[in-house]
Amino acid sequence: MRADVLQLALMAGGLTYLWRYLPLRLNLGDMPKDGLLARFLAATGPAAIATLFIAEMLPLLQDTQAVQGRAGVGVLAVILAFVWRKSVVFATLAGAFACGAAAALGLS
Amino acid sequence: MATAQEKSSVMAGFQAVIPLVLGYFPIAFSFGVAATRTGLSPLEAFSLSLIVFAGAAQFLAIALLASGAPVLVAGLTLAAMNLRHLLYGPTLLQRAGEDRSTRWGWLWAFALTDEVFGAALGALAKGQRFSEGFMVILGFGAYGSWLAGTVAGAWAGGGALDSWPAVGAALDFMLPALFLALLLSILSARQVPAILIAAAATVVGTWYGSSTLGLFAGMIGGAVVGVFGRKAEAVDAG
Repeated sequence: MRADVLQLALMAGGLTYLWRYLPLRLNLGDMPKDGLLARFLAATGPAAIATLFIAEMLPLLQDTQAVQGRAGVGVLAVILAFVWRKSVVFATLAGAFACGAAAALGLS
Repeated sequence: MATAQEKSSVMAGFQAVIPLVLGYFPIAFSFGVAATRTGLSPLEAFSLSLIVFAGAAQFLAIALLASGAPVLVAGLTLAAMNLRHLLYGPTLLQRAGEDRSTRWGWLWAFALTDEVFGAALGALAKGQRFSEGFMVILGFGAYGSWLAGTVAGAWAGGGALDSWPAVGAALDFMLPALFLALLLSILSARQVPAILIAAAATVVGTWYGSSTLGLFAGMIGGAVVGVFGRKAEAVDAG
């Protein structure tokens, strides 16, 4: 195993662990529910997930028309599947399957 | 002896982790394939998943290694990319309310990825009570799937998906599909302004800066709008 790969993994993994763990040590017990930090943290979740979705979609939308087309098919499938079953796993798999099927049918 | 509530939380953890296990495995498979395609050995690919456990950062890691970037620069780049994780623990604890606990935080924080955070947030929004057992099962179920997928992808090798473009397209779409489904699961009218601003800020930040800047702009911008929106609601209600 190459030393640079191990060093990179340890540095990135160690710092990422600190980002995930250290904030838990903050004392949030006395934080007022209508305080600025509480409102900020409550709003962070939906904003973060929306951000991650858009960040994943941007490379697909900047790709060829075929990739854009099958990404659109996938998005539509996720929405329809979620509306139908209200299940995250079902909607995820339906979106991926629809995207793969669109590629198989010529959008590749 | 475990209480009924603890047992219920554990069962809820097993139910909530199923989408993550199913979603993570193919994405990790893609990572294993991509890592071996760029010259990493299966052991090196597995080590990245074992130690880092951050999907997008791992894909960036193999790109940085392939480009010959210095280890210090690459490591700090990946760490900066994951700075958004600073917000996840406090957000969950704030949502947990009186159930919040961090006795085992050193353990479950290791697996607090974007998807685990999103799944936990979605479960809490739907009425699931916070417990550390729930978080451990959610996080380490996803971790196990991520490791298994990496091993399978690395074992299959760099050319595994070359003759299966449709499967590759489906795997490539797994992560955006998962995020969209998670977003739909927590969507409410009150959050629409924050979501729209987050989306717009992500696009602008990515186009005029970098993908890392886009991630920060989206999360911070959406959260700030959410703060002012909630403040305005409180004023109206008052």
